[in-house]
Amino acid sequence: MTSDEQLILELQQGSDAAFTELFLRYRERVYGFFRRRMNDAAQAEELAQETFLAVLRAAQRYEPRATFRAYLFGIAFNILAAHRRKSGLNPTQPVRAPDEPSDPSGTNPENVIWVRQAVERLDAAEREVLLLREFEELSYEEIAKMLHAPVNTVRSRLFRARMALREILATTPGNLGGRK
Amino acid sequence: MTSSTHPFEQEEVMAYLDGELSANRAVSVAAHLRECTECAALAEQMRDVSIQLSNWSVEAAPASLTKNLEAARADHALVKETKRGRFAGWLTGKFPSFKNRWVWGGAGAAAVIVLLFAIGLPTRRREQHAEGLAQLAYTEQSRSAETAPSKSAASEVEAFMAQSRPSPPPVPEPTQPMIARTASVSLIVKDFGPLEATVKAIALRHNGYIASLNSTSPQEAARTLTATLRIPSAQLESVIAELKQFGRVEQESQSGEEVTKEFTDRAARMKNARATEERLLNVLRNRTGQVKDILATEQEIARVRGDIEQMEADQRALQTRVDFASVELSVQEEYKASLQGAPTATGTRLRNAAVEGYRTVVESVIGFGVWALQSLPTVLLWGFVLFVPARWMWKRFRRTAAPQS
Repeated sequence: MTSDEQLILELQQGSDAAFTELFLRYRERVYGFFRRRMNDAAQAEELAQETFLAVLRAAQRYEPRATFRAYLFGIAFNILAAHRRKSGLNPTQPVRAPDEPSDPSGTNPENVIWVRQAVERLDAAEREVLLLREFEELSYEEIAKMLHAPVNTVRSRLFRARMALREILATTPGNLGGRK
Repeated sequence: MTSSTHPFEQEEVMAYLDGELSANRAVSVAAHLRECTECAALAEQMRDVSIQLSNWSVEAAPASLTKNLEAARADHALVKETKRGRFAGWLTGKFPSFKNRWVWGGAGAAAVIVLLFAIGLPTRRREQHAEGLAQLAYTEQSRSAETAPSKSAASEVEAFMAQSRPSPPPVPEPTQPMIARTASVSLIVKDFGPLEATVKAIALRHNGYIASLNSTSPQEAARTLTATLRIPSAQLESVIAELKQFGRVEQESQSGEEVTKEFTDRAARMKNARATEERLLNVLRNRTGQVKDILATEQEIARVRGDIEQMEADQRALQTRVDFASVELSVQEEYKASLQGAPTATGTRLRNAAVEGYRTVVESVIGFGVWALQSLPTVLLWGFVLFVPARWMWKRFRRTAAPQS
């Protein structure tokens, strides 16, 4: 299978097929990136679309120093931060997700709400590191570059986030009434 | 749990689970986790958090995302096309004759010719001017030269130039990104027996080689093997896949370092250095100065040549790093402690005791003999020395005791 990095280089040469392949590979994950951080599904879709267009526009500037995945989520992260600034939200504060489960057809809806509410109770900076690691599967170094923070800070934040989440999840689901 | 009681920080245990540790460190943490229940429990909790987080799934991306993106892409392409065509449209509007592509072609060719002429004419003039100046300087220098190099010196210079003349193998310009790839794999295997030979065979089969290999077989502990394999980059994935078949993967990581810029920069510096060397050789060839000037030029050529050779070596090393990916392999055996043998039989123990007793007797006899041989001369000497006064004193004592009785 052609690697992501080879595909983006092919895109630089003007290959439409390469872009289509990258889009198919990352469509769900980019949409999930925004959806886990936003209340509005339509808004998440719009920002996901904007992310792929940004990749298309900036393909010529891509340099294969980092993985394509880190590059892509770096763009998504910047677009999200810009959107939050425009909306007058704290750039590090996620929009509160709805109480209904995002994926009714998937796993147990109660679990989804439970986990999401537990994540919401984490410190904003620690939560972002946790999400980037667990869902976007970025390395410590890639997260550090994205957040402009030292790698050790990222590691500490991630550790604290996981420990805090473990404590919260250890409580009964009924106690998770969201942030007071 | 602190580092004072555990050799690893909690964060390090987490980093191990995330595959963020070096191969050696990961093997150590893995070994510690097998022994320390407290750290193993922490690792289990970490895994549990990740599993629970994976429950947070979101709905699939709507189909409209694909559709809207296609539309946006079409708009994007249209905007580019419009921007590109705007000047052409204005031109054809103003001058209808430009609609004919032959007219376009002719106009383009004329523009290129004018441009070349505009660039070329001043350059040619500058060259002619420079040649004139060089000729003038040469004539002046020839007149003012106090000493000319002798015939033998000239032949030495020619020999030096022949030595200095570069014969570099052409270093290819990079046509695609150059990435030096490295990977590390840590494995736990059950059957350690043929591992070393198999690793060597894999490296050979993929036209690679073993850069280093270290195998340890401590008594009553797990055997370990660490090796550095250099594998053609194109075959890295297949080699890693083969290595992973040996056993359970404890840790795996891959990274790539982009070295295109470094390569290109060095190629440019090499080109400049070669041009400098060529200019210096020309100076030497058209020598007109004093001997000390020629020697200085020779030294400068030697320095530049040294720089060029150093850069060529670095460039080849870089090319090798790109061509051959480095795989750090670390393998540890799944250790199973073996039972001690059955206790020794009583008969054997008695026999062993008898042998030991006999050996002790022989040793003591030999020991006494050795002691006697060592001490006897001294004893005899002092006995002889002390015998005469002792005898005299004894006789005197007898004499004094006899009258009294």
